[in-house]
Amino acid sequence: MAAVLRKLLLPLASSSPIPKNDDHHDSSDEDDSNSFQIDYSFANEYKGPLIANLPRAVPVELDQIPTALPVSFTSLSRGVSYPVVQPLVRTSKVTKKKKNGLVDDSVASCPSVVLKPHHVVSGSSSSSSSAAEVREITLDSDGEDCSIGGNGNRVRFVEPPSQGGDESSYFYDEESVAAAPTPRAERRGKKGSCYRCLTGNRFTEKEVCIVCHAKYCFNCVRRAMGAMPEGRKCVTCIGLRIDECKRVSLGKCSRMLKQLLTGSELKQVMSDEMSCRANQMPSRLIAVNGKPLDEDELFMLQNCPNPPKKLKPGDYWYDKVAGYWGKVGEKPCQIISSNINIGSGHIKKEASNGDTEICINGREISKTELMMLKVVGVQCEGKPHFWVDADGSYREEGQNRLIGNIWKKKRAKLACVVLSLPIPLTSSTVEPNVEPISNKKMLSKLLLVGNDTCGATTIYKQARSLYGIPFSEDDRERIKFIIQTNLYAYLAMVLEAHKRFEEEMNNNHQTEDEITAITVSTINPRLKHFADWLLKEKEDGNLKIFPASSRENAQTVADLWRVPAIQDTYKLLRDTLPRNAVYFLERILEVSRSEYEPSDMDILQAEGLSSMEGLSCVEFSLPSATQEVSLDTDDQHDPNMKYQLIRLNPRRLGENWKWLEMFEDADLVIFCVSLTDYGEYIQDCDGVLVNKMIANKQLFERTVTHPSLANKRFLLVLTKFDLLQDKIEEVPLKTCEWFKDFNPLISQNQTSRHNPPMAQRAFHYVGFQFKRLYESLVGPLSMRGRTFRPKLFVSQVSLESDSVDSALKYAREILKWHVEETSMIQETSTTSIDASLSS
Amino acid sequence: MSVSELKERHAVATETVNNLRDRLKQRRLQLLDTDVAKYSVAQGRSPVKFGATDLVCCRTLQGHTGKVYSLDWTPERNRIVSASQDGRLIVWNALTSQKTHAIKLPCAWVMTCAFSPNGQTVACGGLDSVCSIFSLSSTADKDGTVPVSRMLSGHRGYVSCCQYVPNEDAHLITSSGDQTCVLWDVTTGLKTSVFGGEFQSGHTADVLSVSISGSNPNWFISGSCDTTARLWDTRAASRAVRTFHGHEGDVNTVKFFPDGQRFGTGSDDGTCRLYDIRTGHQLQVYQPQGDGENVPVTSIAFSASGRLLFAGYANNNACYVWDTLLGEIVLDLGELQDSHKNRISCLGMSADGSALCTGSWDSNLKIWAFGGHRRVI
Repeated sequence: MAAVLRKLLLPLASSSPIPKNDDHHDSSDEDDSNSFQIDYSFANEYKGPLIANLPRAVPVELDQIPTALPVSFTSLSRGVSYPVVQPLVRTSKVTKKKKNGLVDDSVASCPSVVLKPHHVVSGSSSSSSSAAEVREITLDSDGEDCSIGGNGNRVRFVEPPSQGGDESSYFYDEESVAAAPTPRAERRGKKGSCYRCLTGNRFTEKEVCIVCHAKYCFNCVRRAMGAMPEGRKCVTCIGLRIDECKRVSLGKCSRMLKQLLTGSELKQVMSDEMSCRANQMPSRLIAVNGKPLDEDELFMLQNCPNPPKKLKPGDYWYDKVAGYWGKVGEKPCQIISSNINIGSGHIKKEASNGDTEICINGREISKTELMMLKVVGVQCEGKPHFWVDADGSYREEGQNRLIGNIWKKKRAKLACVVLSLPIPLTSSTVEPNVEPISNKKMLSKLLLVGNDTCGATTIYKQARSLYGIPFSEDDRERIKFIIQTNLYAYLAMVLEAHKRFEEEMNNNHQTEDEITAITVSTINPRLKHFADWLLKEKEDGNLKIFPASSRENAQTVADLWRVPAIQDTYKLLRDTLPRNAVYFLERILEVSRSEYEPSDMDILQAEGLSSMEGLSCVEFSLPSATQEVSLDTDDQHDPNMKYQLIRLNPRRLGENWKWLEMFEDADLVIFCVSLTDYGEYIQDCDGVLVNKMIANKQLFERTVTHPSLANKRFLLVLTKFDLLQDKIEEVPLKTCEWFKDFNPLISQNQTSRHNPPMAQRAFHYVGFQFKRLYESLVGPLSMRGRTFRPKLFVSQVSLESDSVDSALKYAREILKWHVEETSMIQETSTTSIDASLSS
Repeated sequence: MSVSELKERHAVATETVNNLRDRLKQRRLQLLDTDVAKYSVAQGRSPVKFGATDLVCCRTLQGHTGKVYSLDWTPERNRIVSASQDGRLIVWNALTSQKTHAIKLPCAWVMTCAFSPNGQTVACGGLDSVCSIFSLSSTADKDGTVPVSRMLSGHRGYVSCCQYVPNEDAHLITSSGDQTCVLWDVTTGLKTSVFGGEFQSGHTADVLSVSISGSNPNWFISGSCDTTARLWDTRAASRAVRTFHGHEGDVNTVKFFPDGQRFGTGSDDGTCRLYDIRTGHQLQVYQPQGDGENVPVTSIAFSASGRLLFAGYANNNACYVWDTLLGEIVLDLGELQDSHKNRISCLGMSADGSALCTGSWDSNLKIWAFGGHRRVI
């Protein structure tokens, strides 16, 4: 009513600003209201025809009203003043009268009047916090003066929503029900000036805050709005809900802003403005089948495959079965996706205000719909009640027999178009709800952790050669350096042994005839000097700086190696030397040369690469091998999936592994343990000999329980299985106190296939021990509301490339299970060690 | 001399040192009749006050896809380099928030970055134990990789922090996980001097941070996991000039006070402290009130006058602004609207003190500036 009046009056009053009767009905300054008073808020008795949908006074939910900013009293007590925006009160009698009328009998309110929630708040609520109380006071104060807050001699102006003639500013249409009160900025300068610097006139370009309508000129926008994380809002307004009348202008910025911001920045700000949470439509303003939605429901509604177009606040009905969607009291306006659980499930019979006595899915249809049904030839005699499915097939209520399909009938769609009824989208236009591609992770990070000699670096090197990522020139140069350094160390070992033999020989040289062949005299003084020097260097631990001079020494080394005495020692020693030493000593002549280029195999065999650098990583993609077809066919792996293998020495991460947090985004932790460690000992920091397996165990405990690696999946890789096969025969597994319980049942029947080799059993046992340890350390994971017990996966690896390949593929499977596991709570039974352990 | 005898003597010596240290501590406590806060109160200094809009975030620099770990301003105040876990260095124009360079790093685990005094080169270092220098004038190839113009290799642990010597483009000081700091000659790529390590007075654990004095470029401070900060003179590498005890956790960050006579530290024990380098005394402890566990300080910065100390904490997005005189928290940047959504990992004050830049694990950098009307106190 008032809207109509106002529209009539608009041409008359164009000279002076119209007092807009929006929810701050004090929006005109005093001068204007004196000179121009329209009493359009009289409550006439309505005498027209009966209207079905009288505007309802929507109940106000006190907790949802964002008037009261949570003010923490601790900060207040320190004297920090928060700007509280206080609405001015128009003090004319007219307003008061209208206000009373509103509160007293809201039934009689004319269609365009909106019940303002904060009136209710100020009238009834005592629990509202300080901001609301301020408002209450201002409303109750009789209003002899319009200056609240002290500076009484200055007249304050409250900005009208927008300047002259902007259609969007008249938000007095029926749909905007109960707009939440938003803070309104007060201008302290003259009309048309910038709110901040108080200069400029109404013709200077300004940007408006979408919450409080404060306007800022070019120079002030940046300072007032900051980085605009939620779009065009003053810094103080961030987090507040936008003014509903500004909703249409979301994402549409002024030319001035375009000049101010760079292109990408503007795009970011505008997309933030449209997508940020605070700017979303408050869900409670949308009621479906008589029940306001909550946020999840609104989200569901807006993200269904076929959402309602141009959703505005209001009352809607929704036919869940067929997907009909319309405003309460009106015929359907759209067919949206069916079966969305929103609002109250039951559609009211009179939802679309029909009077035909024919029902579709429990809703009495309107005349236009009946007309459509008649046109397409649906039998409507006897006021039948139909049950229509989403695909258009219909039956009579209570009967199972399909009568037909509405949409397959001739002229159905045509009739609908003519009668402006909705038609369903054809299936081709309905797009499946695809996940954004950016969400899909294309790079999985595999973290290789383990002690110094755990074989992790071997896995790393294997991966490089397996998936064809060669080392760079620099790396090769460094590796060559390391190999040559190692070579001198191996040589020193031989020389040491030789010296020992010599001494032994000196002690009893009379007896042993063969060894007398190896005498000191066979080494000439120059080589002798070199050998002594090498041994001395080794003792001092200076070998690292040694190969710098290897060019000159290459010949010396070759000569030394050719000495029969050394050769003999080497032959005697061969079986006791480490495998790598033998490998390189065999080729000492080649390797010691300065122009030596390490081959892939050399690199694999080289020790100590990890100790040189803090960290090494390689990125590869697993080829989809053909033999994998034997698994299931829909088990296709994305060939574009990239894996990054990061070899990490935890010792290098500083005390407390301070920097492990850098690897928080790792997808899988591959913990490497050398199987042969059970029989080896190292000195820990206190100089106490510790079994290496125990050291591994401690490292494992620390890794698994580290907060940065919480919720990560772990794959235990037990390396050097091939060496274990030899070692297990000589050193029993029980040597390590952690493996005291290892009591394998040895079957008499050696050929039985139930009697796997000892090494295999040892491997299972070690894996089992680690699993038990893991389970005792790690509690159930909870992810997306579900909990499940994480499992430790175990794999074995030897130096062969096949085993590394299979271990990495296993890692890929784990990552895939992980994704599945988090999406559905099904403990995937795997081919992991569990099965074999239980057998 | 047998091993057991040696061990015995070592134990005795350690005992003596600890005793002496305790006595020193006692004596210091005895002499300490006041601290900065008490003195200031006695002098009647009024606290700094900040309104809600006095410190506003005026730029958000978006572009990184990983946690931001480090940032540095150019001396001419309008450019910032930032290092992130996505393996990139980005050079920003702080005024327009445009990216001028994006450098892809060979090693993604970068911990620190620095702008050279003339603004032509940037340095970075991380878990690869190398400090890499990139020239901003060199052109990138099609993948966006800029060739490394100099590799400063020689550290045996991660490079935790690097800083150019003021007004010297050729010199750079790094700190490392190998317990040393190194002064480098960038032009040759060689170490000029090594601080700590084998020397007796060096740090006994990873060095996490360095800060070079603005007034005397020969002096720098290092903070370490051994809970101490040390003052060094680059002309005399053999020993630390002074060792500053007091912290009870790793010293994560050190920063010289603007006057160059004091410096601030931030530590895992949840405190920031102010030390005087002339007396070696601890002037003030800045510890947030309240119980609960101590939240480690990740990074600190001083305002141009030194009145304000900005400190980033490891919980959520807290970044307190301390009044250095009164020892009170003036403001929490994390509480402001428009603040970071994750831990603030690095702070940097522009050379003229007009803006503060914060880098966070939420992969954004934000520039904060004074938004209110300036009152001359």
